[in-house]
Amino acid sequence: MISRSTYFLSALLIFFAGVSTPSSADWLTELQSLPVQDAGRVKPFDTFAREAMQLVYGKRKFNQSEAAEVVLTWIVTPDLWASAPIIEIRHSGLKEAMSVEKEKRYFSMSELLGNVKLPLVFGELQNRRERQEKLNPYFQAVQRLENQLGILQVLAQEGAPGMVPPKEGDKWLAPRDFSDPMKEKFSSLVQAFVAYATNKNSADAEKSLESSIIDFRQAATEEGRALSKSQVTRVNLEVHYNIFHPFLWSWISYLIGVILMGAFMIRGYHWQSVGGWIFLALGFALHTYGMGMRMYLAERPPVSNMYETVVWVPWGAILFGYVLERLQKNKLVLVSSAAIAVVCLILTDLAPAVLDPSIHPLEPVLRSTFWLTTHVLIITISYAAFFLAFALGDLLLFYYLVDEDKYAVQIRNGVQSIYRCLQIGVVLLAAGIILGGVWADYSWGRFWGWDPKETWALIALLGYIAILHARIVGWIKPFGMALSSVLSFSLVIMAWYGVNFVLGAGLHSYGFGAGGVEYVTGFVVLHILYATYVTTVRYGRRKRS
Amino acid sequence: MSLFFKSLFSLLTSVKLAVVIILALAIVSAVGTIYEARYDAEYAQKLVYQSPYMYAVMILLCVTLIAVMVDRWPWKRRHIAFILAHIGIIVTLIGSVFTQRLGVDGTMAFKIGGARKSVTVKERDLAIYGSFGTGEIRPLLQDPVDFITRRPTEERPHVIEFGNEKIEVVEYLHLAFRDEKIISSEREGDGPALRFQLKNANVDVTEWVRREGGKSSANVDLGPASIVLSDGSYKPIEGVNEIVFSPIPNSDEIRYMVYDKSNLLKKRGQIKESEGFDVGWMGLQMKILRYHPHSFQKVTYEKAESSSPLAHSAIRFRFRDQEHWMGIGSLVRLYTEDRMYVLAYVFRQLDLGFELKLKDFKIGYNQGTKKAASYESLVETPEGEEVLISMNEPLKYAGYTFYQASFEQDEMGKATLSVLSVNYDPGRWIKYLGSLLIVLGSILLFYFRKALARSPKKTPGGSK
Repeated sequence: MISRSTYFLSALLIFFAGVSTPSSADWLTELQSLPVQDAGRVKPFDTFAREAMQLVYGKRKFNQSEAAEVVLTWIVTPDLWASAPIIEIRHSGLKEAMSVEKEKRYFSMSELLGNVKLPLVFGELQNRRERQEKLNPYFQAVQRLENQLGILQVLAQEGAPGMVPPKEGDKWLAPRDFSDPMKEKFSSLVQAFVAYATNKNSADAEKSLESSIIDFRQAATEEGRALSKSQVTRVNLEVHYNIFHPFLWSWISYLIGVILMGAFMIRGYHWQSVGGWIFLALGFALHTYGMGMRMYLAERPPVSNMYETVVWVPWGAILFGYVLERLQKNKLVLVSSAAIAVVCLILTDLAPAVLDPSIHPLEPVLRSTFWLTTHVLIITISYAAFFLAFALGDLLLFYYLVDEDKYAVQIRNGVQSIYRCLQIGVVLLAAGIILGGVWADYSWGRFWGWDPKETWALIALLGYIAILHARIVGWIKPFGMALSSVLSFSLVIMAWYGVNFVLGAGLHSYGFGAGGVEYVTGFVVLHILYATYVTTVRYGRRKRS
Repeated sequence: MSLFFKSLFSLLTSVKLAVVIILALAIVSAVGTIYEARYDAEYAQKLVYQSPYMYAVMILLCVTLIAVMVDRWPWKRRHIAFILAHIGIIVTLIGSVFTQRLGVDGTMAFKIGGARKSVTVKERDLAIYGSFGTGEIRPLLQDPVDFITRRPTEERPHVIEFGNEKIEVVEYLHLAFRDEKIISSEREGDGPALRFQLKNANVDVTEWVRREGGKSSANVDLGPASIVLSDGSYKPIEGVNEIVFSPIPNSDEIRYMVYDKSNLLKKRGQIKESEGFDVGWMGLQMKILRYHPHSFQKVTYEKAESSSPLAHSAIRFRFRDQEHWMGIGSLVRLYTEDRMYVLAYVFRQLDLGFELKLKDFKIGYNQGTKKAASYESLVETPEGEEVLISMNEPLKYAGYTFYQASFEQDEMGKATLSVLSVNYDPGRWIKYLGSLLIVLGSILLFYFRKALARSPKKTPGGSK
């Protein structure tokens, strides 16, 4: 093995010379697609590195360097990183408990390990765990810190994750437990990496790094049980999924499509409409492609956590938007659904801590796929219909605010579309709730148990049924339809997000998470204020006339 | 028909009333979910979902649904959807009443290799047993209690009388953490207790060992050594290092003996509270921190601020001016001058009438981790047939369905208990039928909506 000082030198050079590796370098692609075993599944090194970076640093890149490259240096030169401020702490209460500067966001390993309050803070967490109490945001932050320090230490000590499949059993070997020939291969990979890092412009060093990675991979395959063909395909595809990031391109296309369509509705040039259609179709194709890939990688339908539903629901909204556009010749619907998709897909990019994009193995109870999948797919797709009604309602309220006589046609068509959306939503939600009952009966032995998730889905359904009935008796007129479709979407938000992230109770606990409560509440409150404002303004106007 | 009935009927058939009922249902349900988040499902069920308010709203809903359908008589083709959906709702609600009144929803926890023939259900009982000199213990009284809806207080205690005695339950905590202390007692029948510290450079253990009155020995197993509190009759076990303490009656001294694995007596002597001795191996020091010749275990409960799997319900009761705490699933011995009573606060056991055996239990893990991916129980029916119960693959037997619900494991990760949830649901097919009608009706609504809107017959009390 090479000496520590060489490591130090090389690491210094990597991170302070300012030369970043182009993300398309061949050796980097090889490194990224090395299969490893982590958290219960086989994944490419790239995914492991991105998840580790997200956990520790809160971002997936460090100074323009790709996650895979950075995490490899964590493994190779832990000593250097010990004093680098890379551990993100956001919770101000935790910073206070540790008596560190509140303004600081990143801390170094040595700084944290030397903190006298840290054992106390971890002790408190341990107490909580022993009492099996729910962790509040403070303790969730403590837990994250524990995981952050944990992964850095494990990486330094074991050179984790498991990189060589075993001959027997199912736990892959980490570098510490390698056989001697594998240790040698790994060490030459490390040397080649150091050689390259000290001289990034050398094409030879780059070439030899690439071949040492290929060599290591080859040896790992020969040493242990070989991966099946489909596993290899999955690993390579996952690297593509990570790097290409279809949802990013999808929302960009949708956004361009929305702008063009909006322009067409105002100006009416034919090319704008055609362009809008092309970009919306492209966005939808990319959206579908991304979801298809994710389904293939995870080997399950895309509705097993919050992230996946936030990707899936706008897909459904686009679908409904397209169908209603065809049926009612109302471009407004299509534009609204595309706007929903833009917002949702941007959200999935913005908040990885709340909407965790990683693919995890399923909880045991979720492994009966048929009824489970059916009810979740149908319920979430009904949310798509309500979401579309909500977006249309938002837009119509704006028309009402500006000039309801001038936009009478748009309003009339819009209300018609809202009504259709609510009908579709109610039928799907009712069917979904009942199928959920069938699933609960099938796997837990009871049809209905007043579990908060099912109860809130029912409350949302009752809310919308109340709207449809109130419309029959004339309590709700066109303006009321726009207003109530905006307001009642709060019920869907509660059923979809609130039960898991606010209430955090009940049998659907495998989907629980934390974070974002203030933003979601803000979103709901803002819309209630908006609706109230428009209502007041309209009421005043009508009184005067 | 009198004017009163006419106006009542027109109120019941008004869609406006329906909207109000639907909203009321939604609001009550929402309140229930807050209760569930704060406490647990049982609490929410008892106080909200099965409360008189909920029943009132449901009954009103059914009456309105029926009244609306009667009002539309004679039905036309366009009414099919609305009739189906409304009948569906009524049928589903009837089904759930069947489930609730006649169904069984409970759990069975098996030790690996163990057998059970009863189901534990949610209902709770206070049961009293008495001993009558001869050592025989007889059940005296069984009292079904529901402290969630009828919460006992100091002012309005729940009183149980038996013979000349009475027990007053004065407090109920739905979720509480158990806390126990060992306290010196004056009663001759109470056993001794000892708090010791075993220490060397690497180890520092402080523990209580307490022997129940009437038992000959009690021990604390510390792995390399076992600490025994005996009444003097204890025979050391081979293969275990043991430190045996035997209190000397009517004295504050304790006799101790140290045995090695081959039962050789290595050391002996007498000791008092706050004295210590060298154990003689691994540099261990034994010190007696507290010694009660007679002791009892004082259990108290503290209210849990948030729900936790370790928190459970507890009651505080008075018996002959003495206050006691007890948790659900436990027993308390109560002594009078000449008798002993046992009070049990337990979940009701429902006899199945047959026995199931758990032959084997297996856990499958996610690759390379200790996280369970699946688990399954191999169960033997009375006929000797072996059936595998796994997640989503239940056993149906004698009208009951047995589902794999969860399991418990020890610190080493070895499974100790397999928990099955047991279900008998006479309302199942009624609910399924109702659900089918609802879905069918709502889909048909799409076709008949327009016809309904153009319906010449106006809803009485509805739109003008």
